[in-house]
Amino acid sequence: MIVDCHTHWGMCWQDRYRGDPSEWLVSLDRNGVSKAFLYGHANLHRSDLCKNDNNLLVQVAAKAPDRLIPVGTSWPQMEKESVKEVRRCIEQLGIRHLKFHPWLQGFSTADRYFGEICDVAGAHRVPIFFHDGTPAYSLSEQIAGLARRFPSTTFVLAHSGLLWGWRSAIEAARYPNVRLCLCGPSQRAIELVCERVDPDRLLWGSDYGFGFADSIGYRLGLFVRAKIKEDLKERILKINPLNLLK
Amino acid sequence: MTIDGYCALGRDREYDLTVTELLRAMDLTGVEQAVIAPIDRFLAVDNRAGNDFILQAARPYRSRLIPSCSANPWFGVKAVEELQRAFAEGARILVLHPFIQGYLANDELAWPLIDAAAFAQVPVYLHTGQPGNSTPWQIVDLADRFPSVDFIMGHCGATDFWNDVVHAAKAATNIYLESSLARPFNFASYIQEVGESKGIMGSFVPLNDLNFEWAQMREHLPLEKWRGVYGENLNRLLLKRGAL
Repeated sequence: MIVDCHTHWGMCWQDRYRGDPSEWLVSLDRNGVSKAFLYGHANLHRSDLCKNDNNLLVQVAAKAPDRLIPVGTSWPQMEKESVKEVRRCIEQLGIRHLKFHPWLQGFSTADRYFGEICDVAGAHRVPIFFHDGTPAYSLSEQIAGLARRFPSTTFVLAHSGLLWGWRSAIEAARYPNVRLCLCGPSQRAIELVCERVDPDRLLWGSDYGFGFADSIGYRLGLFVRAKIKEDLKERILKINPLNLLK
Repeated sequence: MTIDGYCALGRDREYDLTVTELLRAMDLTGVEQAVIAPIDRFLAVDNRAGNDFILQAARPYRSRLIPSCSANPWFGVKAVEELQRAFAEGARILVLHPFIQGYLANDELAWPLIDAAAFAQVPVYLHTGQPGNSTPWQIVDLADRFPSVDFIMGHCGATDFWNDVVHAAKAATNIYLESSLARPFNFASYIQEVGESKGIMGSFVPLNDLNFEWAQMREHLPLEKWRGVYGENLNRLLLKRGAL
């Protein structure tokens, strides 16, 4: 089994297929991916689309309930409304994971209301995925700072620092409530991250779905070819993500 | 004609590649030639040792390995002199890594080195993608200031500056896009927009697997239709200094 911990229901997919993931799933099938954490796109792109897109993600995932795990978001700039939306996602929509993209969404990890969101997520044992590896709002160190401030909340660096910040991601992983998703670093960097980080806290992802290109084959190829012990590969592709679902 | 536009030779930290391993990988994939470049430590410090290592590695394999060179502009006149020496000994590309070497890509600090490259008629490869430090529009600044120099935008600004790549590449005729780390499915879309003549295939082995990178790129840009990307474009730039 392979679980992809970083995919998106892209706006182009919604425009073309209107909530039907059948064609979107073809790339997963082609690459042997069984399950995927499904982040949004519209909800990270425009605050006015956030609520509807959270609803949509639940509807899309419901069409392949054994395969797709919806991941919601909110916009901290909306202040109390953002916290309310997170509560709605968790308590009414049944969403069990959140995703934030501080660079794209344009908020600081120091935002007061985002702190409240981290508290809510921690209280509900809902992990938070982050875009990371990008200044000024999405550095791995900034996410690590959140992990330090909110030790009861699980934070996932959804890019492991991207191409140039993977050493920062390794440092961030000093915090026990940080997970790293191998989606962005080079093949060699993936190997080094796997050597240095707690093997129970590593995940893999493709970033598939922003556009129509099949990024799964390439990103899975990097991972499969990396010099990593086979049992660790299985842990990263299957066991650790399933643990994140518990 | 097939040329891998960027391979880092040597061993240090995340780098570990010998000439034998590189040639074996090239043979396996059918890559005829490869640009070899110094690893990070030799880009930052010990430039002469790094350049000598690359030049010596290439010497027995003149038909296969194309030596590049680098110098850290913070060394001032000594950096320029080191480049002049390396060009005279056979280096065919200047590699600059503003992030590793500690300046902004368009900083005047590096201009004397680019002047040296212009005089030697060699292209300048810049690592790009490091936020604020080396980005596509900084390369446009350089391309405007040095119109006689060919600039190779290493990694196409990956990851964060993918939005800028196409417009920046179109902004100046002397900018070329190198593919390594930019992911084949993205690179193919850039080249389809900016035109085949601006593309250069590079694997950045050993950070990536040369064979896998070439195989993936061929899926998106079939070699038969995109020969320029796989070697002819880079060769055209290299020949400005004369035969290899």
